[in-house]
Amino acid sequence: MRRTILSTTAAIAATGLALTGCGGSEESDAGSEGGGDGGGQISIITVDPSNPYWSAEIETAETVAEEMGYTTETSAHNNDPDEQTRLMETAINDDVDGILLDPAGADESVAIVQQAVDAGIPVSLVNAEIAETGLAEAQIVSNNAQGATIGAEAWAEAMEYEGTYVELFGKPSDNNAQVRSDGFDGVLSQYPDLEKVGEEIANWDRQEGQEKMEQLLSRYPDIDGVVAGNDEMALGAINALEQEGMLDEVEVLGFDGNNDAAQAVADGDMVATVLQPITEGTTQAMEVLDEVIRTGESPLEDEKVALDCVLITEENADQLQDFSLEQ
Amino acid sequence: MSPAEKTGAESAAPAETTTSASAAGRVGDVVLRAVDISKTYGVTRALKGVNFDVRAGEVTVLFGENGAGKSTLMKILSGVEQPTAGHLELDGEHVELASTSQAVARGISIIHQELNLNANLTVRDNIFLGREILGARGIDYRRQAEITRELMDRLEEPVSPETLVQDLRVGQQQIVEIARALSTDARILIMDEPTSALSTSEVHVLFGIIRELTRQGVAIVYISHHLEEAIEIADHAVVFRDGELVAAEEAEHIDLPWVVRTMVGRDADYDFRDRERRHGEVALSVQDVTVADPSTGKVPVDHVSVDVREGEIVCLFGLMGAGRTELMEALAGRDELAGGRVTLDGEDLAGRGIGDRIAQGMGLVPEDRQRDGIVQLQSVGRNMALASLRTWVRGFFLRQRAETLNVERSIAQIGVKTEGSDAPIMSLSGGNQQKAVIGKMLLTDPRVVLLDEPTRGVDVGAKGEIFSLLFDEAARGLGVLFVTSDVGEAMTASHRIVVMSRGRVVCELDPRRTSRDEILAAAEGTVPEHARTSAPAETSGPAGHPESTSSTSTTSTTSTTSTTNGAAS
Amino acid sequence: MSTTTAQETPAGASTETTRRPRFSFSLGSVLVEARALVALAIIIVIFTALNDNYLAVSNLTTIAKDVSFNAILALGMLMVILNAGIDLSVGSTVGLTGAVAGNLFQGLDVPLTDAVMFPATWVIVLISIGVGMLVGLVNGLLISRLNLAPFIVTLGMLYVGRGLTQVLLGGTNITNDLRGQEGLGNTGFFEIFASRPLGVPIAAWAMIAVAVAFSLLLTRTPFGRWLYSTGSNERAAELSGVPVKRVKTRIYVLTGMCAGMVGILQIANIRSSTADLGDTYELNAIAAVVIGGAALSGGRGTVRGTVIGAFVIGFLSNGLVIVGVSPFWQTVITGAVIILAVAVDQIQQIVQRRRAQARAVAEARRVSERAERDRDSEGKEAAGV
Repeated sequence: MRRTILSTTAAIAATGLALTGCGGSEESDAGSEGGGDGGGQISIITVDPSNPYWSAEIETAETVAEEMGYTTETSAHNNDPDEQTRLMETAINDDVDGILLDPAGADESVAIVQQAVDAGIPVSLVNAEIAETGLAEAQIVSNNAQGATIGAEAWAEAMEYEGTYVELFGKPSDNNAQVRSDGFDGVLSQYPDLEKVGEEIANWDRQEGQEKMEQLLSRYPDIDGVVAGNDEMALGAINALEQEGMLDEVEVLGFDGNNDAAQAVADGDMVATVLQPITEGTTQAMEVLDEVIRTGESPLEDEKVALDCVLITEENADQLQDFSLEQ
Repeated sequence: MSPAEKTGAESAAPAETTTSASAAGRVGDVVLRAVDISKTYGVTRALKGVNFDVRAGEVTVLFGENGAGKSTLMKILSGVEQPTAGHLELDGEHVELASTSQAVARGISIIHQELNLNANLTVRDNIFLGREILGARGIDYRRQAEITRELMDRLEEPVSPETLVQDLRVGQQQIVEIARALSTDARILIMDEPTSALSTSEVHVLFGIIRELTRQGVAIVYISHHLEEAIEIADHAVVFRDGELVAAEEAEHIDLPWVVRTMVGRDADYDFRDRERRHGEVALSVQDVTVADPSTGKVPVDHVSVDVREGEIVCLFGLMGAGRTELMEALAGRDELAGGRVTLDGEDLAGRGIGDRIAQGMGLVPEDRQRDGIVQLQSVGRNMALASLRTWVRGFFLRQRAETLNVERSIAQIGVKTEGSDAPIMSLSGGNQQKAVIGKMLLTDPRVVLLDEPTRGVDVGAKGEIFSLLFDEAARGLGVLFVTSDVGEAMTASHRIVVMSRGRVVCELDPRRTSRDEILAAAEGTVPEHARTSAPAETSGPAGHPESTSSTSTTSTTSTTSTTNGAAS
Repeated sequence: MSTTTAQETPAGASTETTRRPRFSFSLGSVLVEARALVALAIIIVIFTALNDNYLAVSNLTTIAKDVSFNAILALGMLMVILNAGIDLSVGSTVGLTGAVAGNLFQGLDVPLTDAVMFPATWVIVLISIGVGMLVGLVNGLLISRLNLAPFIVTLGMLYVGRGLTQVLLGGTNITNDLRGQEGLGNTGFFEIFASRPLGVPIAAWAMIAVAVAFSLLLTRTPFGRWLYSTGSNERAAELSGVPVKRVKTRIYVLTGMCAGMVGILQIANIRSSTADLGDTYELNAIAAVVIGGAALSGGRGTVRGTVIGAFVIGFLSNGLVIVGVSPFWQTVITGAVIILAVAVDQIQQIVQRRRAQARAVAEARRVSERAERDRDSEGKEAAGV
């Protein structure tokens, strides 16, 4: 599905010489025209299209919106509030009919959402919250704390409630890194025989996760388990363990539920991962937006919705594809 | 804050500056005295107990070869460095100058060889940089401009205070430097090579200013490698050698031979006019060459033709702005020709790059050694090998043995004084650096060498060695084309003089039959009556015949200079 | 030249001086490197004292691998820094070449047909590295032919490369395809590029190969000399016939090649081609070069120093984890070490400059002393005061 038709070298050469952008990437918003009952334009502002997680978010949002008859326009702020402001202002100036935003920072995003609302453009938030209610039509997030809890429970069981473990921590500037870490701790501290001996920051990144894990293994060669704040770091840890031939003895926990992780869980390399219902959340956020655009009324009683995460284990791993469970 | 106020107060009355200066010292009074000054760097004694007076209203000229101790003394006088022993007396009072600002505060200013101006700022801003006059609302620009105007008028260079320094000629910039020094109420002005970038007419203007300043009671300390100029301006001369003050004399008792003799301790001047000459075929032929500067639309070189034969040393004489450097760089292949043809051994060089031309047998020893000549971070050997690396390649790699052998042989033959080919190039004196640059070109086995001001910034002794080397190479068939603005050099060290002025060749002169005045007149554009505009002085067939054998061709070592006593007078 | 000078006997004085100790110049560069070596020694001693596992074979293997990636990039970076240039695009080129390789493992759609071509593993590797070199070539041509500032060009290329990576990966990772399929003839990637011949990770072997090759290139070929001289004084090099533009172009190609190699090795290492791969690698590479004694102003730096510099960073970051320094402080300490290295560099330069000045004065003194001797022997006609 993602096969990019290209003669690789030609693309590079073209870029190099003309520094023209890249053909296909900007055309993702080629939506169906008018029609339907929506017929307007929706701006989708998200975090990082290169990351599978947000990629799924974007794809869901675009698909749902286009099915409703909207044209879409997608951009990414990479968690940079200034960039977010710029993108939002562009959308406001374009007088789009609605904005679906994955906000960059709870406090930082309040003002710009206010600005959109003042301009009469409904905003629906997905995946992260802002520190103010009454502005956005919806704030639909996955319950990271709950997810961390169910993941930790499953992993502790696999550990048989004893042994030493290390934790790989996400990007410290991302609030979710702390929420998940706290969620893990909340569960695991209840088991006195589970001892956390080390914690390293691996910035959500697979290569860093691997490097940090290798270093941790040098320090603690007898480790029994690893909990990681996301799947990429967990997969890096698995690589490191595999190299040392320790994969069979060490239990690894991931988070997010991306395809590689689903594979690793299915293969038995990873105990479990936690699926954030990003497709579900995005769909819901888009539905609210659509409703508001059409009727001016939000279907939600409370704008804040926390969707529960789903535990992915060997049993359901094969049903997981692109962040959604086939049921 | 307070320094600014102070400056403001002082500069508030620039007219008084002069009166206070003259009040401070009547002409002839000793204002600054160096007493038994010694300066040691590590084990090196740069100054050995120097006693030295600076008098109000007089120009004291410091002579000495590079490394004789002049610059060290200047640094001490201007507060850049402190003496290891001895002290300074200002108006008879013992003073210590811990920094340049202290020196400035006591009325001692220095104008450096390299102009220390900010080209992107105006004349006014440069003069008051760091000493801005503050008013109620920030900098008082009007007051500053007023003072600037007065200063520039006093220096007879009435440029607007708002002019950007980059838009001024070098000579004018020099005057801005002087204005800045005067604005600090300088009573003692140290000038380090102030004329090195000036044209002859600008030098005259500068000298006029110096005279005016001395009339106002300012004491001038003047350093220059340009001995004749320095003698002209001197009221009082002191000569340094090897860290010691070896002679002090009043102006009426000094002349060039005396200065040179005292500086180097012997008659080091050279004269190669009578060297044997064998001229062969035309090696380099320059025909109607024109160089245009697309950015300014000027034509610095305008239809110039000149031939250089095998074994011939041709001097291209011209003052600054005559187009000499532009011609040389175009010949070397750096700039495109706007017209004309350059052939080497009959082969047209059009379209060939610098590297190709070197391979073909023609390379340039550039004018600005630091900027264009040497690779500062590398050793003497690496520098000398740079242009001929291709000749020592086998397969992919350098034949390092061959390289080292050739380089060391060249060092020995040329007489580069170095600790070895591995010594950093920057550890060498200017003259030896220049020899290394010339050696680099000679190592390429050239047919013709182009040299742009080959003796700039070089000691008197080393100058003779450099020319001796060129004459030795010429005797073996090398063609030499060198640029100079030194009349003495043109007369004593060439076979033929081609005089350029404003981009054109004025005439060709025979060094044995011309005079200084004639050359200088030609350089200003006046063609001497007897001068031919074409046909080189004399040429003989490829076999050649010795015209004179009065001086033997020795290899150049320190002691190699012609003993002919034809000091350039 | 040799023909014209061969018959000349060197003058006595100069022969004597050319026989002076040969190591005086290289001593300077040894001192610069010594700083990195001392740092490395200190780091090793401290961390070994704090944790026994630090010098264990398994940990050394880990360090060797991690260092290798950075060292290879740093060696490429050294080439451009020697030229007073910089290449900020290496990190994204790592990601890009990884993505290219990943895509090639998924097969290449042949235009205008429905056919899909699966190149052999070695072809994929060569193409990917070739893409890295192509990026370098574009950088190099823009910098040398259009005289653009390396900082700007490569900064732009950083974005272009990262963007293309994202285009190629389309928001997903390529993981399973890297294993290849027997039927497609593109297997063996991990078996080769994540292997450990003689117990040493393949990346370390690659680093050794690059180091040896670059070391020969810099010290034994005209190209190396040209590079050092253009970095120190481009105008002088140009007037000596050095093809400065060609040199400039080629070094960026070399840098791109190194990035391509790291891209291949890194996706084999993490067993996946991800869009973030190589993010900020350029900074570590620059740091290694600088710690290794190279001057950002060009003309100064060695292969040995750069490799040591990479080891300093590697040993440091590994050690900080091994002894359990708080993750937040690790970053602070790493940064401090880099600043310290640059500061020491600057201080050293000041000292060297002073020494050179003193030497120049001494030389002048020697000249005049000799002149005095000559004068005396010529018959005491010195001019008196």
